Amino acid sequence: MLYIIGLGLGDEKDITLRGLECVRKCEKVYMEAYTSLLSFGLASDGISSLEKLYGKTITVADREMVEEKADQILSEARTSDVAFLVVGDAFGATTHSDLVVRAKSLGIEVRVVYNASVMNAVGICGLQLYRYGETVSIPFFTETWKPSSFYEKIQKNRGLGLHTLCLLDIRVKEPSLESLCRGKKEYEPPRFMSINTAIEQLLEVEQMEGQSVYNEDTLCVAFARLGSEDQTIVAGTMKQLRSIDFGPPLHCLVIVGKTHPVEEEMLDFYKSGNENLEQNVVDRTT
Amino acid sequence: MVKFTAEELRRIMDYKHNIRNMSVIAHVDHGKSTLTDSLVAAAGIIAQEVAGDVRMTDTRQDEAERGITIKSTGISLYYEMSDESLKSYKGERHGNEYLINLIDSPGHVDFSSEVTAALRITDGALVVVDCIEGVCVQTETVLRQALGERIRPVLTVNKMDRCFLELQVDGEEAYQTFQRVIENANVIMATYEDPLLGDVQVYPEKGTVAFSAGLHGWAFTLTNFAKMYASKFGVDEAKMMERLWGENFFDPATKKWTSKNTGTATCKRGFVQFCYEPIKQIIATCMNDRKDKLWPMLQKLGVVMKSDEKDLMGKPLMKRVMQTWLPASTALLEMMIFHLPSPAKAQKYRVENLYEGPQDDVYASAIRNCDPEGPLMLYVSKMIPASDKGRFFAFGRVFSGKVSTGLKVRIMGPNYVPGEKKDLYVKSVQRTVIWMGKKQETVEDVPCGNTVAMVGLDQFITKNATLTNEKEVDAHPIRAMKFSVSPVVRVAVQCKVASDLPKLVEGLKRLAKSDPMVVCTMEESGEHIVAGAGELHLEICLKDLQDDFMGGAEIIKSDPVVSFRETVLERSCRTVMSKSPNKHNRLYMEARPMEDGLAEAIDDGRIGPRDDPKVRSKILSEEFAWDKDLAKKIWCFGPETTGPNMVVDMCKGVQYLNEIKDSVVAGFQWASKEGALAEENMRGICFEVCDVVLHADAIHRGGGQVIPTARRVIYASQLTAKPRLLEPVYLVEIQAPEQALGGIYSVLNQKRGHVFEEMQRPGTPLYNIKAYLPVIESFGFSSTLRAATSGQAFPQCVFDHWEMMSSDPLESGSQAAQLVADIRKRKGLKEQMTPLSDFEDKL
Repeated sequence: MLYIIGLGLGDEKDITLRGLECVRKCEKVYMEAYTSLLSFGLASDGISSLEKLYGKTITVADREMVEEKADQILSEARTSDVAFLVVGDAFGATTHSDLVVRAKSLGIEVRVVYNASVMNAVGICGLQLYRYGETVSIPFFTETWKPSSFYEKIQKNRGLGLHTLCLLDIRVKEPSLESLCRGKKEYEPPRFMSINTAIEQLLEVEQMEGQSVYNEDTLCVAFARLGSEDQTIVAGTMKQLRSIDFGPPLHCLVIVGKTHPVEEEMLDFYKSGNENLEQNVVDRTT
Repeated sequence: MVKFTAEELRRIMDYKHNIRNMSVIAHVDHGKSTLTDSLVAAAGIIAQEVAGDVRMTDTRQDEAERGITIKSTGISLYYEMSDESLKSYKGERHGNEYLINLIDSPGHVDFSSEVTAALRITDGALVVVDCIEGVCVQTETVLRQALGERIRPVLTVNKMDRCFLELQVDGEEAYQTFQRVIENANVIMATYEDPLLGDVQVYPEKGTVAFSAGLHGWAFTLTNFAKMYASKFGVDEAKMMERLWGENFFDPATKKWTSKNTGTATCKRGFVQFCYEPIKQIIATCMNDRKDKLWPMLQKLGVVMKSDEKDLMGKPLMKRVMQTWLPASTALLEMMIFHLPSPAKAQKYRVENLYEGPQDDVYASAIRNCDPEGPLMLYVSKMIPASDKGRFFAFGRVFSGKVSTGLKVRIMGPNYVPGEKKDLYVKSVQRTVIWMGKKQETVEDVPCGNTVAMVGLDQFITKNATLTNEKEVDAHPIRAMKFSVSPVVRVAVQCKVASDLPKLVEGLKRLAKSDPMVVCTMEESGEHIVAGAGELHLEICLKDLQDDFMGGAEIIKSDPVVSFRETVLERSCRTVMSKSPNKHNRLYMEARPMEDGLAEAIDDGRIGPRDDPKVRSKILSEEFAWDKDLAKKIWCFGPETTGPNMVVDMCKGVQYLNEIKDSVVAGFQWASKEGALAEENMRGICFEVCDVVLHADAIHRGGGQVIPTARRVIYASQLTAKPRLLEPVYLVEIQAPEQALGGIYSVLNQKRGHVFEEMQRPGTPLYNIKAYLPVIESFGFSSTLRAATSGQAFPQCVFDHWEMMSSDPLESGSQAAQLVADIRKRKGLKEQMTPLSDFEDKL
């Protein structure tokens, strides 16, 4: 049996009771560590506090393991119970459907334990989840690789008056381009895109494409470390948000579409429209 | 004995109409270097007396020992023309002083990359041909290269002394031989004619052919004799020159010119009567020490000998007399000054070949006008090791502007792409130097039209580069040189003492710099590989490596190995698919062999990544029957972005395809460099992207996902398209007497070679044999051949083409499979090829 268990967004305690029970009865526990990270994942004892709570040894499965060596996990699941821990929800922002497809085709039973994902947790800002359009990711631009397909999607969303959730690039254990070309495994240092970079890139693409889909004055909501104790949420124009330091990752961003009066009221809590915006951020988080 | 100082030289450098940049090119052992020495003698660097015995340009000890030139050497010469001789010169000029930048280059085919480097920076070429051996394979190779670079040639028929002393042929026979040599050369020149360059054939009666004896230091053109006789006959020079060549006969008995031999004993061809016979007579008189007859003859010719020279006897006397009467330098230098173009003239038509950017920008027009006030455009064609070990001079030609000591220059390397920062440096030139054989002179600056050596740039230039002023960010580079040979022979080197490894690594870097052709690489297994054009080239490179670049630390070399290429025979038997690591992206591809001749067209640079798409699609559709629209869908060439393989987009209506294009290209560059069979370069394969399925989100289709997938699908499509190995094949030209033919044939048979031409050289007992010989069989070929023919046959091998090996490398036990296994073993790879199933994913 393969259990795919969502861990939620905050810390180890966000696991559901059902999830915890499953973990405890599994022989082998893998944790996927590249499509997201628990906010405590940055701390050196992040994994061990998980292990302490669950009473199990956890194997960290990096990208390579999940993508290229999934057979190992699957063959274990054939004969015993294996838990595969996923930050957030199994089918949220992450892409583990492939693992499920492969398990099923091997005749392995799969059980999924749900949890919160960034896809629903953004609801906290007051924008209604019903009114979100297609979610986009914003990848790190390089000299030569500047994929701008998200621009088109944002354009469509905004055309319908919908909000757009922008997930920001995470590069953990990503082989460097050079090493890919030479065929050796060398990894880049981990990088997480900040809201500031994301806005820079969004505006860069706007300038390149010039379709006036959004501009510096477009209203956005910035989320940092969503679901953890020190989560920070600020609503403001791109221009305002660009200059704020949101601290450690993970960050994500919502581009606000047409708003309902109640949505606006909620947003006002996070907005401050004046120069002391940053101050307010600190106040609220302390 | 330096007749001129650097200041004097520098002054003439400004007279762009009075400069001649020229190279001396020829087949090996046709006497270039010896001839060059007599020119150098006249310009005053070495004393006239020793000319012919000391090879001034062969600066290296091994060159002197082997008696061949290995590295090309540049020398600046100074020559003052008399008003009298300039009377008939029609071109622009500035006074009577001329500066000749001369480059002597090697004749052995293994070093023809040196010739390429020399040709780039010169405008004219003195082609030296042995009057007996005639036009040989290397003569043709270099001539073709020269004309490709739009270099105007003049010819000298050399080793005339052999006619008089060794063979003692009579005048008419000698004339026929010379005529044939010139005709053969003209056939080649006509073949590679270029409308912009005009008629490049050479004619003795127009003064573009000289007759020389390099060893004895004398030479003449028909101009010399025409001048002598014009007054005597009372006709003008031009008329006289025409009579001295071709079907013009003179009978001294009747004092009449005829266009046919009248058959009387005294009627002889003009050339024989007035040029050949007098020389023959003088030489014979000298050799027989008939001084009583000699002095009056010399007096008649106006030749004045010094009193101590009058005591000479036999050969030295003959040499001295001939040098005084017909000095080689005068004849050759005047021929060059008259008939070779100045930089100002040459750059007008060379600019198209040289400059990569638009032909109407400021840089192109500065080059076209050879404008010293324009922006600096300088091409560094080679790096020359300096006397302090480890440093190099950057040697090249200024095409426009001036380069000066301390100038900040923008260095555009061979991989520079305008607008990007790759392979681009801004550095200061520490010193500008004029290069004069063994001597170097520092000068303040060097204006356009001249060759120059620069100190302080060696850290930033590997082999060649384009230099311009610091601020000229819009300048495009000057086109890279195309070599006629490729580095197909490789050896692995290691040091005897393990602690010398850092020396080896550093030494290899320096070696790569010092030779335009050699390629130094490191294999996956950690082996250091040195690749060269042939056995001799490698031998010299390794000697340099050990003695000059590693301070004598001993190295061990493996047996030479040959690089192969991987290609395909047919179109992939099915469309293959590979999934990305996250399984959300799928690439579908097919491989197919390129059309005949297309790979060669890419090699020659006729089709390449920087083409105008319209021109490219025109060539592809007209010559290779491509669909016009398809020709616009070429994504890239590879390996190294210019190689003879490509990726073509055949997808229909795939969204976001351009976002993964770069990743596919990167994967292709990697895969085409290391093919699926034995990690050899691919050649002549066209990969067609048939379909692509992508994840909806950009993050999940980044380089990390697509690059490895592209590589896998390329390998899968290669393996499904009947992969084959290509082996390099030499064209061998062998000259030998008839009795040696049997030996030659048996050696060639034994070595898998096959003869496709056998011809007797008219007027000689020598046979000329042309054959194809696999490079892998060429090791030790020369010595086996020599042994089998008692030393009578001399082969010249030059890389000719890639030949497909018919056996199937995928069929175990076949010859190709064995080769693949050997290569893999040598490279430290798994001996078994990676199976197709590892590259292809099934749905």
